[in-house]
Amino acid sequence: MAEQTEYSKKKECEVKALPMEEKKRLVREGKAHWFFPGHIIEQIVLCGFVVLILITLSTVFPAHLGEKADPFDTPAHIKPEWYFLAAYYSLRLAEYTDFLGAWAPKIMGIVAQQVAVTILILVPFIDQNVNERRPGKRPIAMALGFLAALTVIVFTILGHLV
Amino acid sequence: MDIETLHLGPFKIKNKIAIRLFSALDDRLGVKEIVDDEVFEKIVPAHLGFWSCFGGISFFLFISQALTGMLLMVYYQPTIEDAHATVAMIMNEVPFGWLVRGSHSWGSNLMLVTIMIHMVKIYVSGIYKPPRELNWVVGITLLLLTMGLSFTGYLLPWTQLAYWATVVGTETPAALPYVGEYIRYIMRGGEEIGQVTLTRFFAIHVMLLPVITASVIGLHLVQIRRQGIAGPM
Repeated sequence: MAEQTEYSKKKECEVKALPMEEKKRLVREGKAHWFFPGHIIEQIVLCGFVVLILITLSTVFPAHLGEKADPFDTPAHIKPEWYFLAAYYSLRLAEYTDFLGAWAPKIMGIVAQQVAVTILILVPFIDQNVNERRPGKRPIAMALGFLAALTVIVFTILGHLV
Repeated sequence: MDIETLHLGPFKIKNKIAIRLFSALDDRLGVKEIVDDEVFEKIVPAHLGFWSCFGGISFFLFISQALTGMLLMVYYQPTIEDAHATVAMIMNEVPFGWLVRGSHSWGSNLMLVTIMIHMVKIYVSGIYKPPRELNWVVGITLLLLTMGLSFTGYLLPWTQLAYWATVVGTETPAALPYVGEYIRYIMRGGEEIGQVTLTRFFAIHVMLLPVITASVIGLHLVQIRRQGIAGPM
């Protein structure tokens, strides 16, 4: 008999087509779980937790409503929300590219952001190491990923501080 | 289906009316097959672990945002005269308004956190690799859409911080050659930030982006359904 593909390597349509006996065996051997009810209950409990977290946060730290906008009064410190701080800091950083010419400071920041997003989108096509998924066996991907994450975190902190 | 007992996974249904109704649906739409395939006879990889749940949580937070957003729209008015006052009213007078706005505001922050954790998990576990490359692209699109939702939603209470953050945010693309000032004009709906900007951001925040995001989430989920949840490495 031809060697069976391991469950984790099977395509979903192949898994779906497995006979009931085979599915029961996989569950018995601890390789799979039933979607119903186990997995569904897990998801519902998780959603419940999220609702609890939202209620707790809203109660302990109520949403803030600042003073009404006044177009004639520019505040001293204009800061974006935390998730835009890294992008904000990259714009500030781009001001140091003025040695390239007067055009550079404003454009380099936007260009750098576009390049970063493009690289992020293309990750699966840049990474040619298609078969290895274990992080320990992908030192380059891990190092680059770590560097990227670190950059975002450091930029966010610096964006908060400037 | 002309049967005494309807077997649906662990359930044995004997109620005649329920069986008749289900049979009618099954004859017309093949419901039994779908329910068995997608629910009762479906298996998922065991030991998915804590870090695997953040995609699902992000999805749930999107639904939560849609629901709390609809509730906020009941009282909110997108005009520069009344926006701030109606949000204040939601916070102070509307029953549980503080909770709805709190959940919406915290939900948007949490959603970005859970999406980022989800992304890191997918990266570290190499789940973006074949056959799931396309779903990584769709996922990044969802991250960008969520940031767009946050950016447009932030202006709606018409506060000082939101107003001036939007001034800076819409000023940024203006530096681009040729198209820059045009982009700024489109984003603001004029030279200055005013009523048109608020109307525009409101429309984008409550209609355009939610519809697009929901569709792209659908695309994300369909791919997961077709490809299965990535098993252990």
